[in-house]
Amino acid sequence: MHFLAPALLLGLAAAVLPFIIHRIGRRRARPVRFAAMELLMRAEREVSARRRLRDALLLVARTAIAIALPLAFARPFAHVRSDLPAVAARSQSAVVVLDDSASMRRRAGGDPLFEAARARARALVEHLSPDSEVGLVLASEGAPAPVAELSGDRARVLGALAATAPSARRADFAGALRRATQILTGSPHADRLIYVVTDLQASGWEDVTPAAVAAGPEIVILDPSDGAPWENRAVTSLEAEPAPEEGAQGIAVVAEIANYAAAPARGLGITLRLDGAEVARGFVDVPAGGRAKKRFVHAVAGGAGTHQAEVVIDHDGFPLDDRRACRVEASRGLRVLIVDGDPRTVRTEDETFFLEAALRAGGSSFAITTILPDDLAGRDLEAFGAVFLANVSRPTPAAAAALLRYVEGGGGLFISVGDKVDADAWNQVAKAILPQPLGLKRSAAAPPGLHPEGETVDLRPAERLAPIDRRHPLLSAFPAKGEGLASARFFQFMLLSPVSDAPERQVVLRYESGGPALVEAEIGRGRVLLLTTTVDREWTDLPIRPGFLPLVQEAARFLAGAPSGEAAADLTVGDKREIALQGDDSRIEVVKPNGESRWLVPPTHAGEARARHVVLFTETDEPGLYRVRAARNDGAVSDRPDAAFVVTLDGRESNPARLADADRPDRAHAPGAAGPVPHRRLELWHALGAALLALALLESLLTLRFKRGRVAS
Amino acid sequence: MMLDPLDIARLESMAVRARVIVEGAFAGMHQNPHAGASIEFSEHKEYAPGDDIRRIDWKAAGRVDRYYIKRFEDETEMRTFLLVDASASMGYGRKGPSKLAYASYLAAALAYLLAQQGDPAGLLVFDEGTRHYLPPRTRGGHIRDLLAALDAVYPAGRTEPGRALAHVGEMADRRSLVVLFTDLLDAPADLADRLRQLRSRGNDVVLFQLLDPDEVELPFDELTDFQAMEPDDARRLLVDPRDLAASFQRESAALRERWRQICLEARVEHRFATTADPPAEVLRGFLFARQRTRK
Repeated sequence: MHFLAPALLLGLAAAVLPFIIHRIGRRRARPVRFAAMELLMRAEREVSARRRLRDALLLVARTAIAIALPLAFARPFAHVRSDLPAVAARSQSAVVVLDDSASMRRRAGGDPLFEAARARARALVEHLSPDSEVGLVLASEGAPAPVAELSGDRARVLGALAATAPSARRADFAGALRRATQILTGSPHADRLIYVVTDLQASGWEDVTPAAVAAGPEIVILDPSDGAPWENRAVTSLEAEPAPEEGAQGIAVVAEIANYAAAPARGLGITLRLDGAEVARGFVDVPAGGRAKKRFVHAVAGGAGTHQAEVVIDHDGFPLDDRRACRVEASRGLRVLIVDGDPRTVRTEDETFFLEAALRAGGSSFAITTILPDDLAGRDLEAFGAVFLANVSRPTPAAAAALLRYVEGGGGLFISVGDKVDADAWNQVAKAILPQPLGLKRSAAAPPGLHPEGETVDLRPAERLAPIDRRHPLLSAFPAKGEGLASARFFQFMLLSPVSDAPERQVVLRYESGGPALVEAEIGRGRVLLLTTTVDREWTDLPIRPGFLPLVQEAARFLAGAPSGEAAADLTVGDKREIALQGDDSRIEVVKPNGESRWLVPPTHAGEARARHVVLFTETDEPGLYRVRAARNDGAVSDRPDAAFVVTLDGRESNPARLADADRPDRAHAPGAAGPVPHRRLELWHALGAALLALALLESLLTLRFKRGRVAS
Repeated sequence: MMLDPLDIARLESMAVRARVIVEGAFAGMHQNPHAGASIEFSEHKEYAPGDDIRRIDWKAAGRVDRYYIKRFEDETEMRTFLLVDASASMGYGRKGPSKLAYASYLAAALAYLLAQQGDPAGLLVFDEGTRHYLPPRTRGGHIRDLLAALDAVYPAGRTEPGRALAHVGEMADRRSLVVLFTDLLDAPADLADRLRQLRSRGNDVVLFQLLDPDEVELPFDELTDFQAMEPDDARRLLVDPRDLAASFQRESAALRERWRQICLEARVEHRFATTADPPAEVLRGFLFARQRTRK
């Protein structure tokens, strides 16, 4: 043991004071010749044991206080072996990069690993020489730097460190090291070091190049896990698809489970929850270092709509990836009927070839049935969420009546035209289901206009689309300038007969010449979309443009009342989410999985008469379902299930693979880390002070207790 | 007016103290509570304050123009032995008179009262043996000798009240009143037997247990080195008396209660007083109690 102020140890002589005071007190006792000695002796015998114990305790407590007081003022300390590198003792400029990525939330020995990492970082900051300067950077992707410049204010750095919390984002060491290097630029110290406190999970180091490490400041890695193996199992993906075998509301939820352990996982419990309620439970075997899939089939109760499915496996030390959620569309809308008005024996020349391909693409959840026009009358349309009529020459009166009933009952109808279409017959038989009566077929007169470099040049005159209006839900998923649609050329299209404006009808897309390209009408409880050109390449090259696929898929969802595919897509923690406002929505509220909510107001830019129709939500910092509510101009607030979205953990954070020794950036610099075994000073006076207080309290309690005893007796 | 013990102690002589105590005891009283009521006339006695005026012999008053009281057979010649414990422990007194002084006041007052009534009173001052003895007499100078002997008494030696009682038992050949003043703190075990023997011979026995308030309450408030007072008793105790007060009070109360029971069984009158009590009040209480007993 050592002392900062050893001279104060002279005060230890005061340890004999209580004894001396006790002896002096005895000498100064007043002598009294007393007659009732016998009574006195009897009374003394009765209380002597208790009194002697009290006197002994008081003497011990007071002597201990007299010893502890000078001892504490002498500020004792001890040297103990430190787990910090020797280089930490040098005067330097240092940036601590604290790994706050999702994997640091795993438990190691009962406590989250992040706590151990933070404690290690705190010990480091406290251990640095007093003239060192420190900055603090977090390693997770997109995280701000709590201390973004070098600071000699140790309390500030420690305060910022204490305020840190582990995130659910993935690690981005390349970005963090870049930030740390920037902070160290212009440092007055010759020694510049970056201390990375991390579990050395390989994920997150991919973008750190040896060249960048060699050119930058010296890097020292502190591993709070001490290389302890981490056996993890995770739900790495979750998908939902229609399950017709379970009826119209049947869904199949497929979960993929990865086992990163060296031993196989047998009988791993797995549970399916739907909207928070457990609906199925099973077991799955996952080979060591492998993956397995588990498929649950379930009929959703409660009818069509959006549901949240969640799969949970038996917990391990990292529960964050033991569950995963996704949205489930339990709706007839995902069943699509296509009526092929111009079938061909050559598949690629078929009228609906591109349409079907677009609806099936990208792992979409559409169930597609294709028929000929003659089969339409006998079909039960109610089982389908959307019906596509592609280049159908003329509907029979029975078919037109059935389609009208279907649309009025809530169904969705998409009509595309072509050279087979008899406009007059349509206007006579099926006028009620047309948003606008069909007119003459027209060939484009305008030149094809500009086109991107490398595009196949078609010299036929063609129309292009006018700039799109993303306020329409059908188009909200498209980029602002309508990329993917703007390049499409229309060689022929059908004009529509003029009608008076009606609130239930609106033009979604227009040609540059002003003619309507896509018209929407609400009929009864359903919707009809009329495309004034073909869905094959006969009149237009739209089917081969990037915008065709999302346009068709969004149209099918829109008609079926299902959420947009963009909305249904999963986000990863840290991703941003654009949410479109509908109708007279004025504000959007996003409720996070932990119950916190944020209100978002669409921004207004200078020169714009009205606010934009989308808001951007950026706080996707936890995995789970984010609910969305909208406040209308009249103050009413209602749920927007169509805009709800799921945020998932980045699967790379589940992989416990450690960074190979050869790839460790701290091996790039040979010197520095080596040196004599470091020691750190363990200050003892705080504990001694606490003991002093406890002793004083004990002494007071003893005195008080015996005084009370006297009064009570 | 009843004077407290400190005021009594300031008076110049034991005779004055005795008179003041008796006057205080009889203040407001109209009859001598000590008078008997036997029907067998024995003799006349000159009236003294406190005598029952109903018993004045008015015929005799008419003849000699002086007031006489009729006395009856059982009232005559009641010999009283006043036994005063003068051992060292009776010398304790911290804030007031010592127990010995207090016992002297009471004995003197009783002797004075008896002399006024013409009853013979004797005095025996003892420690471990008889230190001074005056046999009961009625002659004129006897009371003066008795009061002088009480004035000169001092505390010393160990206590042996049993021996003193045995001495009195030999001399009290008729029915006598024996009054013992002691603190009973170191009373030997045979004292109770001696009291019973005396009582069985037809003697009337009264035991005044006198204690200092310190011996009842132990009201000390600082570290004290207690030392025994009796000779050859080397006991001492260094202690904070506040730690012992409650236990001491219980022991003191138990001692008094034990002697009260012993006296009750032996048909001996037990009277307790502390040296803080006004002696006149103690005397009056004693006289009242005897008056009730005789009636």
